[in-house]
Amino acid sequence: MRWVSLLARLGLAAVFLTAGGLKVTDLDASGRAVVAYELMPPDVAMTVGAVQPLVEIALGMLLLLGLATRLAACISAALLVVFISGIVSAWARGLNIDCGCFSQGGNLPAGQTPDYLPEILRDVVFLAMAIFLIIFPASRFSLDGWLNPEPVHRNEAEADDE
Amino acid sequence: MSKRPDKRASSRVVREQIERERRRKRTAWIAIIALGALAIGGVVGWTIYASNRASGVNTPAETNSAGNGIVTGSGPVVVEDYVDFLCPYCKVYHDDAAVNVAKLLAENKITLIQHPVAYLDRFSTNNYSTRASAASGCAADDGHFQEYVNVLFANQPAEGSAGPTDDQLIKLGTDNGLSENFARCVRDKKYVTWAKKVSDDAGEAGVTGTPTVFVNGKKVQATANSIVAAVNNEAGAPTASPTN
Repeated sequence: MRWVSLLARLGLAAVFLTAGGLKVTDLDASGRAVVAYELMPPDVAMTVGAVQPLVEIALGMLLLLGLATRLAACISAALLVVFISGIVSAWARGLNIDCGCFSQGGNLPAGQTPDYLPEILRDVVFLAMAIFLIIFPASRFSLDGWLNPEPVHRNEAEADDE
Repeated sequence: MSKRPDKRASSRVVREQIERERRRKRTAWIAIIALGALAIGGVVGWTIYASNRASGVNTPAETNSAGNGIVTGSGPVVVEDYVDFLCPYCKVYHDDAAVNVAKLLAENKITLIQHPVAYLDRFSTNNYSTRASAASGCAADDGHFQEYVNVLFANQPAEGSAGPTDDQLIKLGTDNGLSENFARCVRDKKYVTWAKKVSDDAGEAGVTGTPTVFVNGKKVQATANSIVAAVNNEAGAPTASPTN
């Protein structure tokens, strides 16, 4: 299980580091991507969009190092739920936007239609990985395991006694 | 029936309890450190964003009261457009709508406010969007904003390439009747911060891409037909067909 958790952890780390890294080079564009969802007043959305990429990178680093894995997985799951709801609501309202998931997003030019379903399915897969990590946070090669090793299992302890 | 195993077992329970408590504390500290890292990420992002905001902005002539758009005409219906001089669809919009917009201006039906935003700097190798927007501000000082916009779209570089340099931007102006003041203004980069301000303000006005057109504050499709229809609608006149 620890190997599976390692895969989920590194996979999610790659997701957040890539998503954050692609957006961090243009924080204004990232803000406009959030504005395009029309879910917040534009000035609030600009700020949220500017803050988001660096938080994603920090979260990706935590997952990569395996530090506070369960907490990081909980935050990842919460973020993914927000992203999925955002895309679903954009779809429901018939907005013509780039989700800004792995790009700088914004409105699509006239004549180009968004394909929301694959984006939602992709995020659901990421969400499943995060939930797996919440249930099984212990993984190979993690800072958590090194700083705070799990106590020797009871059965093993008994075996030692005999 | 010795008591020894019981004692051992109970001391083991105590040891395990202490160990569990220690683990719990360590987990809490790790969580605090992790949250701190996330908070630092957020604060750094916000600081970069806040410090990037345009400050010490020079404002060109003929701007609106917010200082983020060039005003032409004084008709009752307000048409605002947001274009990036590098964006191909903006050229399509410009080429499609320019004649009809000029006609609406000539008939004094509209006040036109143009916002030359700089969204696409990363799509040229030399920040063409910002430099072209700044140069258009210089052209406004010279009283030739519209002519210069037309020249810029007629000479639009391809996305991903190097756009015209400042010297080439100056030549495009002076070849088309702009003055030495215009040349100096471009060379001094007088309106580079203004280009940034126009872009920042556009985001806060709900503009997420280019071209974007508002007629009396309502978003309309960036085509001649929709603009003419929306203007006539706002003016309460029967819808006239646009001239082509």
